[in-house]
Formats: sequence, structure tokens, C-alpha cells
Amino acid sequence: MAGGGTALGLSDAIARSASRHAHALVVEVPGSWRTRVAAERNVAARGWRLAISPADADVLVVCGEPGPGLAEAIEGIWHQMPGPRVRVHVHAGDEVGARLDEAHTGLLDTDRHRRDAQQRPTASELLAEQAGSRAESHGGHGDTDHGSAGGHEGMDHEGHDSHEGMEHGSHEGMEHGSHEGMDHGSHEGMDHGSHEGMDHGSHEGMDHGGHEGMDHGGHEMSPGGIPLAEGGEDRDGLEMDVLQVRLGPVLRDWPAGLVLHCSLQGDVIVEAQAELVDGRARQDDDVVGPARGIDNIASLLALAGWDDAAAEARRIRDTALESGEGAAGSELERLRRRVRRSWTLRWSLRGVRRLSDKEAHARRLPADAVGDTYDRLMGMLDRAVAGVAATAAGDTGTRANDAGRTLSTDHLAHLVMGLDLATARLVLASLDIHEVLAGQAEHEVSHG
Amino acid sequence: MDDPTSMTDSPITTVAPGWAIVALGILGALAVTAAVLDGALAARARGGPGGKMGGPVRPFGEAARLMRQRRRTTVEADRLLWRIGGAGLLVTAALMVTVVPLGEWTIFDLDVGVMWFNAMDVMVWALVWLTGWGANSAHSLVGGYRFLAHGLGYELPLMFALVAPAIAAETLNVGAVAAAQEGLWFAVWMPVAFLVYLLGVAAFSVWGPFAPAIGTDVSGGARAELSGVDRLVFEAGRYALLAAGAAFAVPMFLGGGAGPLLPGWAWVLVKTVALLAVLVWLRRRLPAFRPDKFMEVGWMLLLPAVLLQDLVVAVIAVWRS
Repeated sequence: MAGGGTALGLSDAIARSASRHAHALVVEVPGSWRTRVAAERNVAARGWRLAISPADADVLVVCGEPGPGLAEAIEGIWHQMPGPRVRVHVHAGDEVGARLDEAHTGLLDTDRHRRDAQQRPTASELLAEQAGSRAESHGGHGDTDHGSAGGHEGMDHEGHDSHEGMEHGSHEGMEHGSHEGMDHGSHEGMDHGSHEGMDHGSHEGMDHGGHEGMDHGGHEMSPGGIPLAEGGEDRDGLEMDVLQVRLGPVLRDWPAGLVLHCSLQGDVIVEAQAELVDGRARQDDDVVGPARGIDNIASLLALAGWDDAAAEARRIRDTALESGEGAAGSELERLRRRVRRSWTLRWSLRGVRRLSDKEAHARRLPADAVGDTYDRLMGMLDRAVAGVAATAAGDTGTRANDAGRTLSTDHLAHLVMGLDLATARLVLASLDIHEVLAGQAEHEVSHG
Repeated sequence: MDDPTSMTDSPITTVAPGWAIVALGILGALAVTAAVLDGALAARARGGPGGKMGGPVRPFGEAARLMRQRRRTTVEADRLLWRIGGAGLLVTAALMVTVVPLGEWTIFDLDVGVMWFNAMDVMVWALVWLTGWGANSAHSLVGGYRFLAHGLGYELPLMFALVAPAIAAETLNVGAVAAAQEGLWFAVWMPVAFLVYLLGVAAFSVWGPFAPAIGTDVSGGARAELSGVDRLVFEAGRYALLAAGAAFAVPMFLGGGAGPLLPGWAWVLVKTVALLAVLVWLRRRLPAFRPDKFMEVGWMLLLPAVLLQDLVVAVIAVWRS
């Protein structure tokens, strides 16, 4: 396992230290909430961190069984990870520890990463492959599996060894991160910041035409395969570039499986269309109680840029799941006080996407969605406190309430249009959604 | 005396350029101190079983991780500008500390030292923007936008905050500003300027409440696509900027090397570390200032407040002479 002939004591020490401080990108397949939370807890317990982007990740942890659409997105993420990289697939919460141990061991295997660096495809290869597969499956290809970048069947953590034969340039000194030859970047409609042109179809509903031509057209219109931004009038009536960006399905603090196709001007979402990846959501088999709400609180606090409070909320969530709700009660009460006291948080969230009774009803949102984002955060905290108290007292009546916490993709887009990315994400998180449902409109698109 | 550009009685000795290495070493040590402190505070906040493991050694582990990680680029990235942006923060921080006197020694005894510092902090605008823009990725770009929006809010108040000590000392020479605070620190009688300055330091270090440009909600924003040494240099640059900002506050607001018992240089370091600790701790306490909201605060609250501060300082300066 220890490096080959060239291995010096120092580089071994660096490898060990690096592996102890790995960053993990945790992907939640819809319906695998519990597994994802178990993975997050395990990541924190071993002193690792949660990665914020593929570039930041050393370990890719897939929780649950992804459908074809999500698998493809995960493949895109995998190609963007810089390496040394390892991926593991967690089928159930109780095997998280073993899988992450494997990941740790995998990270230490320097020779394997050196091979991986040599064999992984380049960006241009991936783009060419993608262009090819798009030509075959024009429009909603939904189920066509064009096995991007060769057999990664089963998302097995060893899967990436199968790039054999793709040769590549210099790989010397990958230990010291000194080469750029084999880059691969924000191609493919990955969750973060990609351009819609690289996306795999299914946005007929959008009125920004012209992508079609670019997808198949000459590269002069799309340097590196990425179409240029188009102009458009912004909200002040000025001409401004419109970027097609896809948010999700792999994104932190984001509803599992949700994909939001946005037209961005600057960072303002001028148009949006929501979709559920693979067109399905699976309800969790087991009821999780207030922990789920606490997890949403953690997401909202993280998105509001308050890392400490978010970390505290995650800890409380884990306590609630692990040692029962009673143990979490006093900590949760303390978190609520802390959040209430923060006038900067109130200032930041006050007035963001105020929803009236009527609007909440029209969007089929729970009644507690009324008010602005700050109100909703306070509501989440109150519900969590009440839920914890109720479950501790053996009353399961509050759980029935959780069943209604769904949002259809039909309504979702309307809630975020006209907002900038930051507030849009805050608003989505503040709705305390447990499950995103595929809407009517979307069924036509993805299965049409 | 009337002409501040021809100061001849500077209390400061300019050292040989070779000492710049030492200055860099000190800056590096301060940056590491900030990172270690941040790691320790973060570990305390997250508590639980993971807490022990992180803590003070975290920054070293992160550095090892990033040294081992491969660099990457994105499709059609503007590589030159992108790399300039990422590496520039560290260079800027180093240039900032060249005018900060360590007790009685300095590397550049510029007569316009205050302006020099100001010019460097404005350079951060370009650098963070280039880092965001160069990657050719939407989230990165949004990070760049956000930084510029913050910049519009914090930069003018920061400039006028730097004006206050310069008016009171009737000079732009950093050493002379420190010497002018005999008996009473500027931080004491110009608290508004001092606080606004500290906010400015957090802002140009993309730190704490000013971190939306590299926020989680945009997958790391300007740094979303950075990996390996590129990310290491970017992060080191942020800590170094924080350290340089804290160090510059010492001659400007905290009386420079003045203090009992210890020699001047030691006092400068003690005060710098104390300020640095405050700045690092700030991040634990505050959520992000949303750029659009902060713009309002910058122009409607901070700018008038700091202008008023300048007026008060100017009136006192005239009255004293």
C-alpha cells in the first residue's frame, strides 16, 4: 500500500496527513436521506470535511441507488474531481463506516492514483463523447444510457480503474500536484455552474432558442463545446448576458434529486424550470421525526453563511437520530435562542420572498410557509422544538404533519424566479421541504 | 512639517531589502497563527467526536491535502488571468506589510505609505474578480460579482476610515502616524474609523460575513474550480491579507510599538495577534452579509458615519494646531 520505489518518508507523511483531512462530497439519491445523514455524521467523526464543490472533493460518497439521470450527473462530478480521488457507494446507513474506511485506504494508495491520473480521459475526449451521444439521442433521452467515459457499471468504488488504454501526458509528480495536463473541467451539465448547452436536453419549454443549433453546430459558436452566453434585457432594461445554468442534482444543502434549469443574468434567475432527476421521488421507508426538520435548519443556516450555527444544528440532528429526541431538546432550545439573538441573520432574511396566505395555498405549500424567510426559519425552529418535545413524550401525532411537507416542481420555479441565486437558495431551504414531487408539466417533458 | 511629502524626521529606520525575507516570514507565521486559531475555534464549534481530530492541526492537514491534490483547469479557462488572481492575494498581502513598521524598522519608509496600503487593498478587487472570472464557470463568476458588490459597499468607507488617522497625524507616512499617537491611541478617539477599518480588513480578506463571494451556496464561488496548490495559495492569501490588515491597524490606530516593558517590535506583534484573533473569531459569530443588503449599509450608514468621524478629527486637528 505504501508508495513504490520513489516513495520518500515525507511524501508518505503528506499522504497520510492528507488522507486524514479528506473532503467528501456526499450525494443523496432521493429517498436515501437517512444514509446521507449517516454519511455526513461519519465524515465529521473522522475529522473529514464536507466538500463544497467537485474541485474541493477527494472522496465521492454516493448514498442510495441512483437512477440513470442521476448516475450520469454523478459521472460528471467524478470527472471533475482533481484526484487523488476515490468513490464509494453506500447502500444503507449501517455500512457507512466500512465504506468510508475503504475510501480512506483508497486515498493512501498513491500508485493507484498515479495510474488514475494517467488513464483518465481529457476534457476534449469527454466533450467529444458527449457530443456524439447527444447527436444520437436528441431531446429527452431519459433512459438512453450512453455509458459516458466507459464502463462505470454499478458506481463501484473501483470502477474508475477501467479507463485502461486512454493514454495521457506527463504524470510525474502528481503527489505534488504539479501538473495540469489532464484537465477536465466544467463540461457536462454538472450541478455547479455548467452551461446549459452541455446539458442533456429536456428544456423545450424555454424560450431562449438557439441551443439546439449550438449543440450540434460548429465549434466556432461554442468555444470548447460551451455555447456563448446570449444577450437579453435585464430587470433594469439593460442588455445583459444570459447564462444557462443547471443547479443540482448534486449540490450541497439542496433537495435531493432536484434539478433547476435557470437562465441567469448576473446572478439573478430570470427564468427557471424545475425537474426531478429520473422523474421520481421515493419516500423514505422509515419515519425520521423531527431530525429531518433539524437537517433543513442546518441547510438554511449553512446557506446563510453561518457555519458555526449550521454545524451545531447538524450535531443536534445527529443526537436526535442517535440517542433519541429527548437528548436533543435542551441543545435545540439553545440553538433557537442563539439564532433568535442574531440581529444580522434577521436583517439578512427579513423580507426575503414574503408569501401571502393565498400564494402559499396556490403553490400547495404548508400553511406555515406564510411570511418571509425569517418567519419561516423561526417556524422551523419552533416546530423542531415542539416535535422533539412531543416525540420525547411518546406522542407521534406531529409526524402526520411531516407527510404534507412536499413541493411540486410545477410550483417550485415560480417561487425563485426574479431572485438572485443566494436568496433563491435561502427561500427554497426555508420552505422546509421533505420531498420534492414531480409535477404535471415535467412528466410531459421527461417522459415525452 | 507643512509638506507631508518631504518628511525628514521620520522616526523609522529603513532596513536593507534583504530583511524582506524576515518580513515575509513574520507574515507567514501570522497567517499560520490565524489559520490555527480558526481551526481550533471551528473544532470547538462542531464539538462531538470529530472535534478533537480537527482543531489546531487542521490547517497543516489541509495544506498537506492540497499539496498532494492535482491542479485542474476548466474548459476554455482564461488561465493566465485566473492564476494571477489566485496567486495575487498572497503577493498583495506581502506588499502591504512592506510599509508596516515593526517597532522602529520598516522595509519601505514611504511618505505615502497609507496610500500604498490603500492601493494594495483595491488591487484585491481585481484579483478576486479575476479568480472568479478566469475559471469560465458560472458559480465562480457569481462569486466574482458578489465580491465586486461587496467592494462597492466597503471600499469607500474603508478609504475614509484610513483618512482619519492621516488627518490627525498630518502625514501619510505610516511610521509618523504611529509616532503621532503618543499618549492616546487613535483607536480610542476615532472608534468609528477603527471599526470601519476592521470591517474593511475582513472584507478584503473575503472573510467571515464578507465570504459570500466564496460561499457554500455557490459551491465555493470564486474558488469553486480551484484545487491543489492553486487553492492552497488562494487560501493562504486570504489569511495573509487578514494578517496584513491586522498588522497595518497597529501603527494606524493602536499606537504602533508603544507600550511598557516590551520592546517596540514585540508590542507590534502582540497587538497584531490580538487583532487577528478578534477578526478570526468574528467569523464564528456572524452569518454572511448579503452583498445587496450590505451595499445599503455601506452607503447609508458606514459612509456617513465615517465622514462625520473625519470631520470631527479634522476639527480637532485644526483646533489643536
